[in-house]
Amino acid sequence: MADLRVNIGGLFMKNPVTVASGTFGYGQEYDEYFDIAQLGAVTVKSLTLQPRAGNRPPRLAETPAGLLNAIGLQNVGIEAYLRAKLPFLRKKGCTIIANIYGYVPDDYAELARRLESEQGADAIEVNLSCPNVHDARSVGGCKLVAQQPEAVLKYTRVIRSATRLPLFIKLSPNVADIVEPCLAAQEGGADGLSLINTLLGMEIDVKTRKPVLSNLVGGLSGPAIRPVALKMVWDAARAVKIPIIGMGGICNARDAVAFLLVGASAVAVGSASFRRPDTALQVIKGLEDYLEEHGFSRVTELVGALKTE
Amino acid sequence: MPFVRDCEVLAHQEVAADHYRITLAAPEIAKQARPGMFCMIEVGTGFYPFLRRPFSVERIHADGISFLYKVEGEGTRLLSRFRAGDTVNIQGPLGRPFPVEAGMRRYFLVAGGIGVAPFPALAEAIIAVGGTPEVLLAARTEHLLIGARDFSRMGCRVVLATDDGSCGMKGTAVDLLKQDLGTGEGSVVYACGPMAMLRAAHETCLAAGVVCWASLEAHMACGDGVCMRCVVPANRETEAERMARVCREGPVFDSRDINWTACP
Ligand SMILES: Cc1cc2nc3c(=O)[nH]c(=O)nc-3n(C[C@H](O)[C@H](O)[C@H](O)COP(=O)(O)OP(=O)(O)OC[C@H]3O[C@@H](n4cnc5c(N)ncnc54)[C@H](O)[C@@H]3O)c2cc1C
Ligand SMILES: Cc1cc2nc3c(=O)[nH]c(=O)nc-3n(C[C@H](O)[C@H](O)[C@H](O)COP(=O)(O)O)c2cc1C
Ligand code: FES
Repeated sequence: MADLRVNIGGLFMKNPVTVASGTFGYGQEYDEYFDIAQLGAVTVKSLTLQPRAGNRPPRLAETPAGLLNAIGLQNVGIEAYLRAKLPFLRKKGCTIIANIYGYVPDDYAELARRLESEQGADAIEVNLSCPNVHDARSVGGCKLVAQQPEAVLKYTRVIRSATRLPLFIKLSPNVADIVEPCLAAQEGGADGLSLINTLLGMEIDVKTRKPVLSNLVGGLSGPAIRPVALKMVWDAARAVKIPIIGMGGICNARDAVAFLLVGASAVAVGSASFRRPDTALQVIKGLEDYLEEHGFSRVTELVGALKTE
Repeated sequence: MPFVRDCEVLAHQEVAADHYRITLAAPEIAKQARPGMFCMIEVGTGFYPFLRRPFSVERIHADGISFLYKVEGEGTRLLSRFRAGDTVNIQGPLGRPFPVEAGMRRYFLVAGGIGVAPFPALAEAIIAVGGTPEVLLAARTEHLLIGARDFSRMGCRVVLATDDGSCGMKGTAVDLLKQDLGTGEGSVVYACGPMAMLRAAHETCLAAGVVCWASLEAHMACGDGVCMRCVVPANRETEAERMARVCREGPVFDSRDINWTACP
């Protein structure tokens, strides 16, 4: 059997498949369908210092081959995570990637410190790219940290100095050149990148003449964004030295292989889990089959193995 | 424990214009299902619609379950195309069921329109504990009063109302409840239907000091408590719990748990 193990930026994973933050809760719910400890890692919903109740519904809508969401980071907060959610994941023996969100660099630093000191994670993923917590009514919206390379650099440095845990910076596709924020995160001391968060979008109900989301705009995910995500991972992988967790519309092992080929070292399954809770597990199995079939002995041999000739 | 299973369609009939009953072979799901729980049905394997659709369990048999549904949009239209012998993938049973306690004096089942869907199973459960369900069934017009005869045959008391007065009282299911609830002593109310009806049922029950178990509808994505699409404002202390998940904390709520003033 092929070797699926990977070590990305100091994070050991028994296979290169995790789940995307916000599409898997804190793991417990989907463990009712399959043993989630089989995943390379469980990535939890973005954690904030204080609990958040999120945006007013409607928060999510279906679009062609995807979803548009403006959940607004409803989460239990770091305290309840450590007390009520973490013990389950630890008991299961899961590798944990804790995704964090803050309003200023110090929020992130404090979250990272707490996660490290209370063994709340094996790696940290920093959400600098949530499109749903700003007032969309202001013209042009509010700039995301991930849209400003200097800010990415500053935030990454502050968080880096707060933790020795493997640090992944999650960036936004809503930029002209994805390479710039990637280089900034690398320079700031990130151990890896997570690409991509959702693409900003909008949908209108012409019967009511209103946007379908209370937040007016939201983030697009699902198969609809996969080609965009692949291109961004490809661009980023050729520009940085640090590993990339690729995501965006992955529904099966073929999709996952494509991300590895363009240079991702691991992948995350997001919206597809809503259709089938065990999608990520099927991706792992399918990946094994692909390696076998194509004569690879290690999954790492696929990383960046794209043939462009 | 919920399951994801390919199930054979045993029967699929149109019971009224645009209303269907689909019966599936699903022994494991049937075994765990309780009245008020729901399943997420995969209406197609393509990318539009991308998500499953939630439906309450209508009846629970030894080795199968049925759903009663109304064609609303693309998802339910696709569902209506399945034929006996086809395979449908369903996920469930999910959510919290209606609590059924023996020994109540009166059991009211208040249904607005397609809100009748979870009540056949509930009526059976109430009869099983020795009660007599009183089904207060209302719809827009006579031919949309679904299942009235089935409830009667089961031994339920059935009272009807229609918006247009074409059958029974002219009014809503909550109008029927107001007429029948009396002092409410020893009564329990179960309600399912549109939000406005549930709110009215809640207010009526609150005034009478009767517990009202309301099955709420909310748009869902995962059906499993992870996506936070289906939330409703709840009367909870903490910010983390202020928006409760209909798929997980519900769909059946004690109506006093819902913060009705914050509901749209
Ligand atoms: C717990 C629960 C139990 C339900 N039980 C039944 C039942 O037994 N019988 C029945 O006929 N209907 C039931 N519904 C409503 C049913 O899920 C919707 O009618 C259905 O999802 C509509 O899908 P569509 O694609 O045809 O409509 P569209 O309007 O095209 O759907 C667009 C989106 O909105 C959602 N949506 C639209 N209307 C509703 C609604 N009323 N409630 C929830 N989501 C909606 C869809 O799921 C989809 O994500 C239930 C809903 C919930 C939450
Ligand atoms: C409902 C929903 C909630 C999400 N919540 C978060 C979140 O809390 N933090 C985050 O970093 N990304 C969040 N995301 C983005 C995903 O993690 C992922 O980057 C994106 O959806 C692309 O992957 P996909 O197309 O496979 O879903 C969310 C996505 C969805 C659909
Ligand atoms: S439908 Fe996803 S949390 Fe309820």
